[in-house]
Amino acid sequence: MIMTTPTLAIHDFLLDIFFRRGADSDVGSGWGIDGLFMFIWWVSVFFFVLLMGLMGWWCWKYRRVPGKAAEPSASHNTALEITWTVIPTLILVVIFFWGYDGYLRAQMPEGSAEQVDLTAFKWGWGMTYDTGWGADETVTLGSRDDIPVFYMPEDTPVLLKMSSQDVIHSFWVPDFRTKLDVMPNRFTPYSFRAAALDEADERVKTMDVQIADSVRENVRYRDHWIFCAEYCGDLHSEMAAVMRVVSKDDYEWWKSQPRYGAGTNPVEVGEKVYIASGCATCHSVDGSAGTGPTWFEVYNRPVPFADGSELSQAEIDADPLAWDNYIRESILNPSAKIHEGYANQMPSYDGRLSDVELRGLIAYIRSLSGLDVDTENIPGFEALDEQAAESDAANAEG
Amino acid sequence: MTTVDRALDHAHDDHHDVPYLTGKGGPIATVWDWMTTVDHKKIGVMYLFTVLFMFFLGGVAALMLRIELFEPTRQTAAGITGAAFAGGEGSSVGGVGKFYNTVMTLHGAIMVFMFIVPGIPASLGNFFLPLQLGAKDVAFPRLNLASWYVYVFGSFFGVYVILTGGIDTGWTFYTPYSTSTEGQPQVVAMILAVFILGFSSIFTGLNFIVTVHKLRAPGMGWFDMPLFIWAIYATSIIQVLATPVIGVTFLLMLFERLFQIGIFDPGLGGDPVLYQHFFWFYSHPVVYVMILPAMGIISEVLAVHSRKRLFGYRAIAFSSLAIAAVSFLVWGHHMFTSQGELAATIFSALTFLVAIPTAVKVFNWIATLYKGSIALTTPMLYALQFLFLFSIGGLTGLPLGALSTDLHLHDSYFVVAHFHYVMFGGTVIAFLAGIHHWWPKMFGRMYNEFWAKIASGLVFVGFNVTFFTQFFLGTQGMPRRYASYVDEFTTLHQISTVGSFVLALGFVVHLFVFIHSLIVGERAGQNPWGGLTLEWETDPIPLEHNFRHEPIVKHGPYDFESVVPPGCDEKDFPLPPQDEVRTVH
Repeated sequence: MIMTTPTLAIHDFLLDIFFRRGADSDVGSGWGIDGLFMFIWWVSVFFFVLLMGLMGWWCWKYRRVPGKAAEPSASHNTALEITWTVIPTLILVVIFFWGYDGYLRAQMPEGSAEQVDLTAFKWGWGMTYDTGWGADETVTLGSRDDIPVFYMPEDTPVLLKMSSQDVIHSFWVPDFRTKLDVMPNRFTPYSFRAAALDEADERVKTMDVQIADSVRENVRYRDHWIFCAEYCGDLHSEMAAVMRVVSKDDYEWWKSQPRYGAGTNPVEVGEKVYIASGCATCHSVDGSAGTGPTWFEVYNRPVPFADGSELSQAEIDADPLAWDNYIRESILNPSAKIHEGYANQMPSYDGRLSDVELRGLIAYIRSLSGLDVDTENIPGFEALDEQAAESDAANAEG
Repeated sequence: MTTVDRALDHAHDDHHDVPYLTGKGGPIATVWDWMTTVDHKKIGVMYLFTVLFMFFLGGVAALMLRIELFEPTRQTAAGITGAAFAGGEGSSVGGVGKFYNTVMTLHGAIMVFMFIVPGIPASLGNFFLPLQLGAKDVAFPRLNLASWYVYVFGSFFGVYVILTGGIDTGWTFYTPYSTSTEGQPQVVAMILAVFILGFSSIFTGLNFIVTVHKLRAPGMGWFDMPLFIWAIYATSIIQVLATPVIGVTFLLMLFERLFQIGIFDPGLGGDPVLYQHFFWFYSHPVVYVMILPAMGIISEVLAVHSRKRLFGYRAIAFSSLAIAAVSFLVWGHHMFTSQGELAATIFSALTFLVAIPTAVKVFNWIATLYKGSIALTTPMLYALQFLFLFSIGGLTGLPLGALSTDLHLHDSYFVVAHFHYVMFGGTVIAFLAGIHHWWPKMFGRMYNEFWAKIASGLVFVGFNVTFFTQFFLGTQGMPRRYASYVDEFTTLHQISTVGSFVLALGFVVHLFVFIHSLIVGERAGQNPWGGLTLEWETDPIPLEHNFRHEPIVKHGPYDFESVVPPGCDEKDFPLPPQDEVRTVH
């Protein structure tokens, strides 16, 4: 339900001052959250100016003059006191119900919503669409170049099924005017309907989107910041993501494209997953220190564990898959073996990565030690090639 | 004093007839005397200096945060880290990200638990509650001294734990972050520190409640009490009732750690939101522990410096109690984004309920000015600043109490600005009003009015520049507790940082004014402002036992119209002559 925004120039001007622009979601805009905020603003301005005006005026008029005592006046006035209790109470009742109405609309998802899984972890966001893919594009923010971009359709009800891998986070899209905490022990529903892309809005831009081998030209989009609003530790400030709202058609196209083109090298797959799944948050690939161990030149080297045991050179020499299995276990069940000197805080990626992606990651880590990867010998990539070929064929027919 | 007075006073112990500030022999004897004193005035002064010292520490931490936030990236913090913690890698304060978070925790924890909660009640309250009641001391003087020692111990312990343990949880210690980081033992230690500090609050609160009930001067009924007493009384009730909850929380956290009982940790089957309920069930009432005494000071200062009976005395007195009662029912408004719809709705409604007595107080204060004789002294300037800033703080609470707008503003800089307007613009400004109002009575000297006004102007301007900008940061989407931010917010953050240094400059000027006053300040008279409450009937510097004779209350605390003859100045303000009091004896 979108009502028209009052078209007072002063109102739009104030919205720009407060929010940079009116809200970009149906609950936020119009009479919803922005409208209530502006109502409270005008009520506040009225009372503030009234009170401060009286204060200033009386301080001047009744300033102390030597030899002149205070004039007598009533010490209380029941009628006046009841009036100034009842009138604010009535205004507060209006504000309460108005806020309640907007809150319910924000909390209640529409029936046929597009559902996307959202995972929060220290320190990043992951989304898994119903096709199984996640974000594969990143932008830079400060020292981080792995801020993921999530595509979302315009003017469509969307429900994010949110959960946290570790501590409490909070999902906030300031342009939508709503946020909701993300809990480690339950799913919480964040529902929204992004405003339709407006031709006249200079923030709506156009770009060519490339996914693997396919390109879609002139995709109109509008980016919104996603921030974590619940304090969660060292990189809380950089726990951001971008929500990219595109048209429904573009969204469907984006969502359904296979991510890895025909004949993609597994190392490239691994590198994409490294960025898209948030590995880069903690693990460096150049040997620098991080929250987790670096991946640089570690493959097939002995690993000391926190409990005193180790993955020894002898074991590695005896079993050519020892390190591959160690990586696999560390991704799917991270707390099984903790690298010496690091805390047990990595979330499990079980169910979040496909087999192909897992194999890609292993190939990528291997390549960081300067070892070549023989694509032919990695099972799973033939299937990928076939899938890509089919989709190419389908595209060609279409 | 006349010879007649001396003759009559011989029944008293001479030892107690000296001003309380008079030293007892050599420096060591004097220090020992202060350290073992059970005189509420000395304990009040000791509290005053310790809380102001903690305010200084918390303020330094705040400036470090503002320096970091001058730039969108974390580069500045790296500089601070390098300079302040040259130890580098081995430093317990950890990396660059953690450094900001530890300083942020230090600022919050010091300001809340060690400055603003004990602040006014334990310093000015301790000094003036017995004086305004016409009592010789509080009901339990030794408990009073114990509370100071417990406070000092708890503060040192808390600061030590934060610095050595590198606690980076923020002052709210939310689970599971606080219990899942490597700093887990330190977090439990920190909550122990809060618990210890809580005991000091309980001691003080209990003491004040009994004192108000039992030690009022003859003739002083409940509605003859100054409003400062009413405010401190309501505060004490909250302290005694709410503080145990943080103790319970601490014990539950300890049990969870020791016996692996799942209470807050989802890994053990607990619920992290339960912790938030416990925490705010304590911490929300404590917000009113912070603000109610400030409201009490404002009532005193406005009445005395405008020579006017407070408009609607009973409404103000009852609203203090109403606020204290409702404050226990609104804790859930800190959690609109983490709890169910029904609970959020109920807490939103209850939150608006607490807004009403607060608004009534502001109306009453402003109505008090009407037809007064208003002197713009430093305390009065601060009281007027309070009305200005506290009104902004209160009104910006409305979009936070309303459910839908809070979804946007929760945990944003809007909240930061809002509670600084209430806590600083309200409590700290009122504290400054109170310190200046009662400074002559505490130390027997006046301060330099001109420079104090300059300082108060700097504080006012600096504060507004610092925090008014933060409302806009919040509405535009800047989350709390961020060490770095997206480029759009740079300008507003830089303005805010500049403001914080103007604010700091204001405090430096205040410091010099106070030191100047203590050394060479003009001697203050018995009643420099012309107040009618009992503390002004004591000597310029009160005697050890406060009053030369037990005071008899013959007029209300604000009966300026009936007591003050027209045409009198504060210099020659007549008090009821001592003889007249004695005839009633």
